[in-house]
This record gives sequence, C-alpha cells and structure tokens, in this order.
Amino acid sequence: MGAAGLGGAVLLGACGSSGSSGGNSPSPTTKRPPIGKEPGKLSILEWDGYQAFGTPTNKKAGGLIAGEDYTKKYGADGLTYSLIVNDSEALNKVRSGQQFDVIHPCIENLQDYVHDGLVQPWNTDLIPSFKNLNPALVKGGQLDGQQYFIPWDWGYGSVIYRTDKVDPADATGWELFWNPKYKGRISMWNGNTTNFEIAALKLGYGGKAMDHLSDDQLNNAKNALIEQYPLNKFLWSSEYSDLQPALQNGDVWVAYSWQDQWVYAKEKHLPMAYMNPSQGRLGWYCGFMLGKDTKNYYHAHEYVESFVNHKSCLSLTNLFAYGSADATIEPSEITNKAVAKSLDIGNPNVLSSADVHLQSWEPNEAAVQQAWEEVTASAG
Amino acid sequence: MTDRPIAEAPPRRLRLRPRGGRAFLIAPPVLVVLAVMVAPIVLIALYSVDVKTNLPFTPTKFTWSMWKDFLPPSGKFPNPFWHRFEISMVITVVVSLIAVAAAYPLAYFLAFVSRRSRYTLLLLILAPFFTSYLLRVIAWKIMLSNHGVINTALWDIHLRSHGDGLPWLIYSKFSVGLVLFYSWVPFVAVPIFVLLDRLDPNLLEAAQDLGAGRVTTFLRVTLPLSLPGVIAGFVFVLIPTTGEFITPLLVGGPGSQMFGNSIQSFFQDTPNWNYGAVLALWLVGVVFVMLLVFGRFLATDLREANS
Repeated sequence: MGAAGLGGAVLLGACGSSGSSGGNSPSPTTKRPPIGKEPGKLSILEWDGYQAFGTPTNKKAGGLIAGEDYTKKYGADGLTYSLIVNDSEALNKVRSGQQFDVIHPCIENLQDYVHDGLVQPWNTDLIPSFKNLNPALVKGGQLDGQQYFIPWDWGYGSVIYRTDKVDPADATGWELFWNPKYKGRISMWNGNTTNFEIAALKLGYGGKAMDHLSDDQLNNAKNALIEQYPLNKFLWSSEYSDLQPALQNGDVWVAYSWQDQWVYAKEKHLPMAYMNPSQGRLGWYCGFMLGKDTKNYYHAHEYVESFVNHKSCLSLTNLFAYGSADATIEPSEITNKAVAKSLDIGNPNVLSSADVHLQSWEPNEAAVQQAWEEVTASAG
Repeated sequence: MTDRPIAEAPPRRLRLRPRGGRAFLIAPPVLVVLAVMVAPIVLIALYSVDVKTNLPFTPTKFTWSMWKDFLPPSGKFPNPFWHRFEISMVITVVVSLIAVAAAYPLAYFLAFVSRRSRYTLLLLILAPFFTSYLLRVIAWKIMLSNHGVINTALWDIHLRSHGDGLPWLIYSKFSVGLVLFYSWVPFVAVPIFVLLDRLDPNLLEAAQDLGAGRVTTFLRVTLPLSLPGVIAGFVFVLIPTTGEFITPLLVGGPGSQMFGNSIQSFFQDTPNWNYGAVLALWLVGVVFVMLLVFGRFLATDLREANS
C-alpha cells in the first residue's frame, strides 16, 4: 500500500500537464447565463446506487456521500435521475433525444457520444478537484483535444461464486459460465457487449482483440454464447433487486459481477469469492459527460465537482471498494485495507496491467449488439 | 289480417347541424387517430426500410434487406427472430385457449348460479386489476421465487427438502404462461358473462320441454349462443399477449422470452432501431390480420349484446 501512495504522489506531479492540456473552456466566446440565472433542475442519467447524498434513494444504496456539497448548497429536490442498467441503454437513451445535463457512461462509449454530437466538453477550470485526478484516466477522457469525460469510478468485472456450492477445481476462469454442472444456477449480466468480451476472453481473444473481433471471431463468440445462454437462470439487470438477493439466498451460485457485491458478501459473512480468472479480469472506468444542450452549465460543473472531490472519492472506495480517479487518496484513509490490497485499489496503473482487460471502444459495436440479440432469440 | 295497430312511421331525424358541421365534429377524432396510430406506424415503416435512422450523421437508403433477412424462406435459416416469433405464438395461443377454458365456468357461475350477488362477485374478481399491471407481475415474481411462498410451503410440509425449490416455478415458460393467464382471465370472463347474462331463459326452458338434458341444453343451446363472447374473450387475450414483453422480462428465463422482448431490446439496447422496426411492423401486421379474421365475430358479439 505504501507503493500506492507513492504512485499517487508521482501521478499528482504529472497531473498538471495532463489537466491543462485537456482542460479549459472549449469555446471562450460562448455566452452563458450566470449560475444564478440557470434553472438549476439537473437531469442526470445514472446507474442505480450513485444518486447524490441527500436524495431519497441514496440511503437505499448504502449512503454514498458523493454529491453532498452540491445537495447541501442547492438541495436534493432539484435532482432528477433516470436510471440505466447497461452502457448500451444509456447511449440509446441519449441518442433517442432525451435531454440530460449530466451523463455517467463508461469510457468505451466516449467516441460515440462525441461523434454523434450528444455532449460538449467540460470547462475543467470550473472543477477544482480536477487537478487531483489520475492523469492516465484523465487523458483517456479526452478527444480532439477537449476534455469530454471527467473520470470518477473504476473497477473490475469478473465471476462471483458461492464457495459452498462451487467446486474449487471448477473455479479457474471464465469457462465456469459454460460448465453444465451449474445449469440453472448461473446468472450473467444483461450487458450485451460485455458478454461478448467474456466469450472472447474464454476463447483466448484477450487484450485489444477482445474489443476488435474479426468476423470469424465474432461468429465464434456468438456460437459460444448460444451454448452458454441456456445455462443461465436469468440475466440480471439490477445489482440490488436481481443479483444480490439471488446470490444471498442461493438461487444463483455463479454470476458476473463487479467487486462491490463481493465486498457486500464479505460484510454479511456469506461464503462467496471473487475470481481472478486465468484469462484475466475485465476492467472498466466510468465518468461524467456534459449534455450538449444543457441549460445548467454551471450547476452541472458544481455537481460533478461534488462527486470527484476527495471525500466523495474516498466514500466511493470505502463503501463499494471501487477505485476512484482521485490520485490523492492515501492508503491510511482506506478503511478496509485487506480488501483494497486484494483488489489492488491503490495501484493507479492497475487498469493497464497485463491481467486486466480494459473495456474499450468497439468499432463493430453494432454488429456485436446485433449478434447478442441473435443469441438471446435463439434460446427456447 | 292482424288487429295490431299499424305502427306510426318514425319521425324524420332532425338535422341539428348543417353538413359542414358533421365534418367539423369528425375531424378531431380522425386527427387523433392519424396522429397517435397511423403516423407512428408510418414512422416505424420508414425505419424498417432504412429510410430513417436513429443514428446521427448516418446516411439512409431505401432497402428491403432487413425484411429479406427476417422473413422466411429468403432469410437465413434458422432465423433466430423468426424462431422466437413462432415460440411466442405458441405461448400466446396456449395461454389464450387455457384462459378461455378457465373463464367460461367462471362466467357461467356468475351468470346462472349466483344471480343475486353476481355483480359483487364480478367486482371482487376485477378488484386486483385496479392496481398496476407491473405491480401484479412483481407480486407473482415474489410468490414464485425460489424462496417465495409456494416453495416455502412445500419445504414446511416436507414435500421438498429445504432450499430446493421447484426449478420450473419461475424463469420458465410455465411462470410466463401462469402470469399471463392470471392477467387475462377476468377480461375473457366478462364478454362471456355479458352474453350468458342476456341469454333468454325461455330458450333453455324450451330445450328442456323438448326433452333435452342439462348437458344437451348446454351443448346445443347455451354454448352456441355464447360463442361470440368466447371468441371475443379469446381475441382479448390473443392480441395483447402477442406483443407481451413485461411478463417474460420479469418472470421468464432465457428460454421463455417472447417476440416483444426482441423488439424492446432492439430499441433499448442496440443502435439498430431499423431491424427492431421490421420486427415491430411484422407484429402490427399479424395483429391486423387477427383483427380481420376475428373482427366479424366481435361485431356479432356487439349485435348480440345490444339485442
């Protein structure tokens, strides 16, 4: 953990150049009303569990204190959340013309949002904590020299399984999802492209190939998923209402999950393990984008500042065991050091390590999604 | 000759408004139908031939290619979406038939057995339907789940070992069929009940006077006269169930998703609204054909009900 602190300090030093290169207002001549003249009612496209502190649904998800500074200043009543269950749904909602001030997608769709003209760059001068963010993640959020994406949370995707039900000899890699011994006890995520990435890893198309499948590879992955799909009890959409109870009461023994479910299971003393598959885990990072037609430009910046500031990032790590973009978090501040160590939370470069496959933009995403529809339609 | 008085000719209907007024009165509903029914279908049709797209900056060009891909026999075989359509139709027809079979005795009971309290009972049957459809499906999900009331009861009376729920009770074709059946039975019972309730008791008495037993009276008098209600009830289930997606989404498993789920998924989770539009328009066409086939029975039902 000491190394993590050092890594954070080194990155902090590098942050200035990264932040300034991608920051600043994209069009200084744009006339905007001052914050006092803005409507102030923010519409946010968000994942369940990330609602700002003070909103009614925040407590349900465990009391993340992110957003506290914003809601203390402006109240929580002005925040309206539309919830998403996967990245494709988020992109489709914005593409369909729904207006959002702030969007919380993951990095793999950055190019789609920008090239489709759905978002505008941030003015990083209006986000004081921006200078503390991990420069590698910050750089990943830039396109055409503009900072379209403010990184915030990162983590893994892997297999969570019940250690009291699954033979340890079977729990070696992603192939566990294909083990017919566990038919009817498996639950993959209702995330179309992620499932293809999993199939790709199982077939040995790791690294960059995972998101750049050739036609043959795509067809092989599709056939693998057609084989796997009937083994699922159901595909989960909500972590809290689908996955968590099913794992807890034993309806499901093997599932795709992010690490927060494992942390939850540990707290509840449930017999579960979070696999480090032989082919490597999936890695992801998500962040905030600014709606193209927002009428709450300054409110949106203040909202995001209240999420990427130090205490909010620390809360994210201590509550969900997710990594955050804040490079100034010290090891001593993390409450569950054992969990942080096992997940390598303090390592700012972990997403670029060899055994983590970062989910990234797929040039043939539409073909992958079409193939997934064919997978689901082929069952029965 | 009859000594019945000759009925007076009915007075000519008074024209309350000039002819232009009639067009004025008819225009608003016609505009509403055009705006909320015809225009969306036209829009979907444009998507289905790639004349429109949901993707910004994407060129469009008229093509039948997606229709050719979907429709047999020109499309690839086996086309998974056609396969799913067939499965959905099987589920739909089976659910509709079972719903009619179950609703008939219910309607019969309401019409003939409980004559004094029939409307109270009808209200009680319809009472759960004052809550949202979604909530009722979620309630079923809770009851059917592995740790739900049914499995727990089986464990408590030692019919199954603790923790071992019936594997087919939820996330299966059974659970989808059961919830759809529950959702539609009252709506099937109502049109049958209306016809049975208006049945002329003299016809039944005449049948018995002519020596017909109860079963023969039912088979040769009651049932044929109530057939329009039966067909109307069947159609009431068949048409909405054809496009169903909420129930399979919540209580269905991988093998029990329906055609509506593919449509919903194309529009929600993929950028390919065009292919979703093909599936959606196909479903609209199927429902339209169903209405053409069964529509005359529905018209008969209305005449019967009004007579």
